[in-house]
Amino acid sequence: MFKKALLALPVAMAVGVAGTAAQAEWQDPNDVLQKLLEAQPDSKYLHQSEMNIMMMPDNPALYLLDDGEELFYKERGPNNASLESCDFGKGEGVLEGAYVELPRYFEDTGKVMDFEMRLVHCMKEIQGFTSDDSAVSQRHGSGSDIMRLTTYIAHQSSGYAWNPPLDHPKEQAMRDAGEVLFFRRGGAMDFNCAACHGDSGKQIRASVLPEMRNSQEWTKAVSWPAHRAGQDNVRSQNHRIRGCIWQMRHAGILPDTPVNTALISYWNDAARGEPAILPDLKR
Amino acid sequence: MFNKNTVAAGVAAFASVALAAGCAVADGNKADDVDITAMSAEELAEHLIFETGSWRDQEMQEGGGWRDRMTQDEIQKACSFDSTRNDLDGEVAGRVVALAREQYQAPEGDIELGDWRKGAELADSGYGYRIGHNVDDHGTREAGGNCYNCHVMDSSVSVQGTIGPNLENYGAQRGDSQEIRQYVHQVISNPHQYFPCTQMPRFQGLLTEEQISHIMAYLLDPESPVNNR
Repeated sequence: MFKKALLALPVAMAVGVAGTAAQAEWQDPNDVLQKLLEAQPDSKYLHQSEMNIMMMPDNPALYLLDDGEELFYKERGPNNASLESCDFGKGEGVLEGAYVELPRYFEDTGKVMDFEMRLVHCMKEIQGFTSDDSAVSQRHGSGSDIMRLTTYIAHQSSGYAWNPPLDHPKEQAMRDAGEVLFFRRGGAMDFNCAACHGDSGKQIRASVLPEMRNSQEWTKAVSWPAHRAGQDNVRSQNHRIRGCIWQMRHAGILPDTPVNTALISYWNDAARGEPAILPDLKR
Repeated sequence: MFNKNTVAAGVAAFASVALAAGCAVADGNKADDVDITAMSAEELAEHLIFETGSWRDQEMQEGGGWRDRMTQDEIQKACSFDSTRNDLDGEVAGRVVALAREQYQAPEGDIELGDWRKGAELADSGYGYRIGHNVDDHGTREAGGNCYNCHVMDSSVSVQGTIGPNLENYGAQRGDSQEIRQYVHQVISNPHQYFPCTQMPRFQGLLTEEQISHIMAYLLDPESPVNNR
């Protein structure tokens, strides 16, 4: 405990000017959101849905936690193994604070992996699932194993500051490529990510968009898993990427591919130092 | 019609093959056989897009495959800078304007306005050119203009976007001369002629000339609700 407080202090000082004290310890997602709202009373993005703010203590994503925990510890798959020996970067079975320190380089695969890629890797390697098994192939929706597991595991990092490691040269390379991808104009309609996320308080139709350079808007923007009220389902970072790229009229992105990883490396780096809302509730 | 259905069936077949192919790539889980740290960020970004099996193998609505869709043209390349930190460079701006003028195809003779009612529907439609897990089928529904996503045109209809400028009373304020029509046609077709590196798409080629004439009517016809706000 004493150690944690010591760790928290410099982090809090570093972002203290911005108003939200990111901590190296767990915080309830609603508490994280409330502090962000207080820190940025004029953010149209953060304040756009009074209804969702009110609903936050009863976030439907929270209902996935028990199922996710059960799935994590249950002996499953052809190998009849639990996921307790899965290393998300902080050691086998260590979930606390792991989600906000992804993507990262993994020695065992020799590459930088984002969270979903790593989870699928463990389900295949440890539990023996194959791509054809619905446990792995079904990526989206509150009823999928992947989203239940994602919500449970991510929740163990709620309130921790985003802190994806950049010490390994491949981590830095993927983050930097992600930045290039973020600004790369392309597709049938010439869009890049910055078309929607480079300005403050802009709307696509009724949706107020988060600005990538405002790290307190951006931490909410990248805080997936989140229950999407309009879709009545819990969604992931990868689902958000797929949806954006679809709307941007680029090509159809496939799961478990490094374009996802590079973009997420850049996303999470852009939210660095700000506490994650896990799970979040979005419009 | 027969043609379009054939294309649609082809797209569907492509999609299922792509799904299987995609999973195979994911299954491989091979470590990078290239040294990604030896590349510049730009080189690595291109490598990730073109060499890592990150896209479904589908036929695009405009023809071609994912590689064609993801390959940048000169304007896209020139405009891929970090606009949140850097202003548009003067030399780049001049080059982009010149490229856009080169690409633009002016209509022959006087420009006639279409039907503003059809224009309103097109302006409000976000359909078209989306691909991947959910494919927009141009054989069953025409592509729209997406205008309302970014522009307020008639705020009595719905909540509209603010990424681009508000266009209410656009024609009421500017009139409906041939000069204005020419300018609006240029901006809708290829806005980089006036606004280099704008976020707005180039609609010449995405929409038909007839569709563009309807959207122009929606903007310029004195009867259009846009001009009676």
